[in-house]
Amino acid sequence: MQTTAWLVLGLPLLGAITIGLLHKRLPGKTAGYLGTTLLAGSFLCAVLTLLSLQDRGEAHRQVVFVAWDYAKTVGLDAQLSILIDPLSLLMMCVVTGVSTLIHLYSIGYMVSDKGYARFFAYLNFFVFSMLLLVMAGNFLLLIVGWAFVGAASYLLISFWYRRTTATAAGIKAFVINVVGDIGLVLGTYFIFRHSHSLDFLTTFKAADAGALGHHGSADLTAGCLLLLVGACAKSAQIPLHTWLPDAMEGPTPVSSLIHAATMVTAGVYLIARMHPLFEQAPAAADTGAVIGAVTLLVAGTIGLCVTDLKRVIAYSTMSQIGYMIMGVSSGAYVAGLFHLMTHAFFKALLFMAAGSVIGATAGNQDLDRMRGFRKAMPFTFGCFVIGGLALAGIPPFSGFFSKDEILLVIGEQGGWHWALYVAGYVGAFLTAIYTWRMIFRAFFGEACPEAKELEHGHLFHAEVHTNPANGEVEDTDVGFPGAEHHIAEQTIEMKLAMGVLAILAVVGGFLQIPKVNHHLDSFLDPTFADSAIRPDSKDGLLYFGLVLGTALGLAGIAIAYRVWVVKPGTSAAVLGRFRPVHRVFVNKWYFDEAIDLVVVRPFAFLGRASRNSFERIVVNGAFVGGSTGVVKASSSAVRAIQTGLLRSYTALLLVGLTGVGLYFLLSA
Amino acid sequence: MHTALLTLAASTTKVKGPHIDWAGLSPLLAILGGIVVVLMAGLLRPRFAREQLVPGLTLVSLGAALGLTIWQLDDNKSLVAGALRLDGLSTTLTCLFLAAGIGTTLLSWRAMAPRESAHGEFFAMLLTSISGMIVLTWAQDTISLFLGLELLSIPLYVLCATEMRRATSLEAGLKYLIVGSVGSATLLYGLALIYGATGSTGYAETAAAFSTHSLSTDTLALTGIALVVVGLCFKCSVAPFHQWTPDVYEGSPTPVTAFMAVATKAAAFGVFLRFFDTALIDAQGTWGPALAALAAITIIVGNVGALGQSSLKRMLAYSSVAQAGYMLAGVVVSTSLGVRATVFYLAAYLLMNLAAFGVVIARERETGRGDDISAVAGIGASRPLLAWPLTISMLALAGVPATAGFIGKFQLIRATVDGHYAWLGIVIVIGSMISLGYYLRVIAAVWTGDAVESAQVATGLPALAGGSPDAEVTGPAAGPAWEVTLVAVVFGAAIVVFGVIPQPLFDFVARAGSAFSNLI
Repeated sequence: MQTTAWLVLGLPLLGAITIGLLHKRLPGKTAGYLGTTLLAGSFLCAVLTLLSLQDRGEAHRQVVFVAWDYAKTVGLDAQLSILIDPLSLLMMCVVTGVSTLIHLYSIGYMVSDKGYARFFAYLNFFVFSMLLLVMAGNFLLLIVGWAFVGAASYLLISFWYRRTTATAAGIKAFVINVVGDIGLVLGTYFIFRHSHSLDFLTTFKAADAGALGHHGSADLTAGCLLLLVGACAKSAQIPLHTWLPDAMEGPTPVSSLIHAATMVTAGVYLIARMHPLFEQAPAAADTGAVIGAVTLLVAGTIGLCVTDLKRVIAYSTMSQIGYMIMGVSSGAYVAGLFHLMTHAFFKALLFMAAGSVIGATAGNQDLDRMRGFRKAMPFTFGCFVIGGLALAGIPPFSGFFSKDEILLVIGEQGGWHWALYVAGYVGAFLTAIYTWRMIFRAFFGEACPEAKELEHGHLFHAEVHTNPANGEVEDTDVGFPGAEHHIAEQTIEMKLAMGVLAILAVVGGFLQIPKVNHHLDSFLDPTFADSAIRPDSKDGLLYFGLVLGTALGLAGIAIAYRVWVVKPGTSAAVLGRFRPVHRVFVNKWYFDEAIDLVVVRPFAFLGRASRNSFERIVVNGAFVGGSTGVVKASSSAVRAIQTGLLRSYTALLLVGLTGVGLYFLLSA
Repeated sequence: MHTALLTLAASTTKVKGPHIDWAGLSPLLAILGGIVVVLMAGLLRPRFAREQLVPGLTLVSLGAALGLTIWQLDDNKSLVAGALRLDGLSTTLTCLFLAAGIGTTLLSWRAMAPRESAHGEFFAMLLTSISGMIVLTWAQDTISLFLGLELLSIPLYVLCATEMRRATSLEAGLKYLIVGSVGSATLLYGLALIYGATGSTGYAETAAAFSTHSLSTDTLALTGIALVVVGLCFKCSVAPFHQWTPDVYEGSPTPVTAFMAVATKAAAFGVFLRFFDTALIDAQGTWGPALAALAAITIIVGNVGALGQSSLKRMLAYSSVAQAGYMLAGVVVSTSLGVRATVFYLAAYLLMNLAAFGVVIARERETGRGDDISAVAGIGASRPLLAWPLTISMLALAGVPATAGFIGKFQLIRATVDGHYAWLGIVIVIGSMISLGYYLRVIAAVWTGDAVESAQVATGLPALAGGSPDAEVTGPAAGPAWEVTLVAVVFGAAIVVFGVIPQPLFDFVARAGSAFSNLI
């Protein structure tokens, strides 16, 4: 078990290093197959670890393996240790499993890209970082994994580095992620101060024993709030969400891997992992729940109006992560992680299908220019429909069970949580509308020229490749968009990956059907056994929720069908009536502008002002000039007394001796 | 004849001596035996015997002593009637001396100094100095302390002057002799005054006298402490008693400089820790602030003085002054953590300096530019095996993370903060900031400078009267020597290894901390 657990971590690292070092020598698709095989091995090891963990008794399913002590002295226990328990294993299986499929997809999708091997090296590094994050057994390693994930996502978002929009998006993602890193590090500090240990299990035991301060103490709340900042930045929650839509500048498999299945779930994992702390700091947990609720609503409204295919899915990701954050912050740990898993399946599937459509339109992502791909791309269409049904929460698709379970647990808590409950169902309604708006617009109606060309068996090629975001001519030297595009219908690897995910998106929810089975509940129990939040299930609320969820989902799809298929003019009419509202939505609630106004501009102003006054006078004049002056002067003084003459040395000796002697005599 | 032998045997058994723990004494005996053998082997006629056998035997002797020390690494026992003691501090420091000795032997294997002064004498002097260090740090009374100090110092005076045809080498030897004698005299005077105040030479008895008679305010005792502080500060090159350091370091043959920088410093700090934290611990309230002030002055003077030096050896000399200030901070606090931090830093310091000096020696022999900074310019491209150790050791000396120097400095700063000398920790940080100014200059020269042509050393040295005969025949060593590169690479790699995985080194120095049962 120990070996397999370390191999889960080791194989992607091996892949990243091997492919990275040999990237110029690997011919053809070797890099892709190598990366995929190693990751498949990693997935296999995760499953083996899972099996051997299940062989143990319930009380022994939290195991820490220490590879070596980095520094273990008084007051510091920095170890290279991993924690294997049901929670980390669930994450390991989801991360490695979905990532393997995405690697498989990328083998086909990226094949004409000149940075093929570089892409797989980054991709393997990213998976390694994410695994480090979820397997870390202490805060130190968690921080390392957390920062690595940020760095890997920067590399992948800016993968097409000649695209100005891609580099800008990469920088934005990195900066916001660093804000999160700071939150995580400071939060760790607040906790470490009281627990005197970086180890998770030791810290949690101390928290249970009340060693970290009383219930809701200021330090604990501050620590958890800061951890929440970290979680919000990684999981794209308001107000640190603006990087996620921009991150769609990366290649589509990256959007699928990072911005759906793995990286953005890190915040959910963090809160679930830290649940013993968050339960002691209810103020922080409530803040998280509210943030999740606000995010899911705001993202849903923006999703209604955005016309970029990938950005619609990105906003839906934000909104779904909002559900999860809301869930794990209000004690619905298993439900939140259940949703995390099903969401990974159907969201990865949707992104892959979107990649296929983008391939068919030679890099265009604008919904306004897509129409009627249904006949031209039947497989992609099928995948899109399955993903869309799962996302909209239509039974028996996987999203239905997991979303309703989150809302059920929240509803059972009563009180102000009812507001969250309502927000959740409003969000579900919006989700159904915008998801199906996307499907109806891209696949229904009269076929656009690209679709017609494809129907005649020929893939559309652009004369000159331009960046859809700003019309710049693309530099095809660094790859984008490559000589050839690839669609699922013609590429076996893409088809295989999407097929597996489509099946998972259908059956993934059967792990935990209310009143029938509760595999996930019992599997995760060892991790969450210490949780004080144990809502009792009320049948009435359960059935009400299931019916309401189905009805809202179907209603949303029906509305979308009416607006965009039956009467295509409707949306324009609605838009005309609610122009101000639409403007708010389409401008993403002005979050970018608000951040620009509140953070960027004041800081830029302060920076300019201090550069002109403070830095010139105080820093350059007094600090730099002054301190270097002092150092220089004393340097020449030291050299001046270094005459090389013994008599002057002896003289100084006497002075020193007298000084020391006088001190001792005076202190007597 | 037979009866005569029997009588002799009978008479020797009658001699009443103190109980001697021969096993505990064995590392010292291995060195002392090595001195005799090496000196004898140096008299052999064949060149091979002198140039290969003698250093080889030196290494054997050092290796045997190292093995014997490691064998007793965790022992704790009194040797020779309480005059010497084998405990955690003794063994860890002895390991450092022996490692430094092995490094120095390799560095001077084909150097000029032993050729000019004859191999047997050179290496015997080296071994004698090491035996002095062992006695000094194992000492449990002031008599053995002084004996060890002189045994350590006198061979060094000679070693400094072994490149006899170079005026600066002779100057270094003479300067070191005179200033060192003043230092020794001061120390001896101080020890005498302490003896006068306490009436005993043993550390334990001194400590007992301090606590029972409350001597912490006694004028005689305090004057004695003041003089001992000054005397030991000489040996550690603590400012303002550091002035011999740059001149002597620059003038001495470079392998000897490396040895002085590393081993002498370890020995002087060993006795500092031993004497002040055992015998004078009750007066800590008095000498603590004085040493703290000296440490701060030393850090500033050393770092400031190193700026703008173009001679690498001179720069390293000032840097060693600064490092002495850092380590003195570990002595000041008188805690177990402080002891461990100091010994850890001594170990790290050994790695960093031997790596750096190895590169300096290699380039001295290759370029003929001596130890000027231009000798290492541009070696990043031409000699990566030298460039990397030098870069790593400079970064480590500056305290950059992922090197042993960082961990060492971190421990020292933690010790100062824990020991209520936080301001001294701040001085260490400021010193490190200044130090980047000269360490980075070396790195810049290594990687961006223009490479110099390898040139044969011009042998325009005066003829020597009474020197070793082969000095005339063979001339200076030329060309790169693999063992010098080996020293640089091994110690450079160790800096990084212990910077990333410091735990073995922590465990190693924890023994030194456990030797002081009286400290918290």
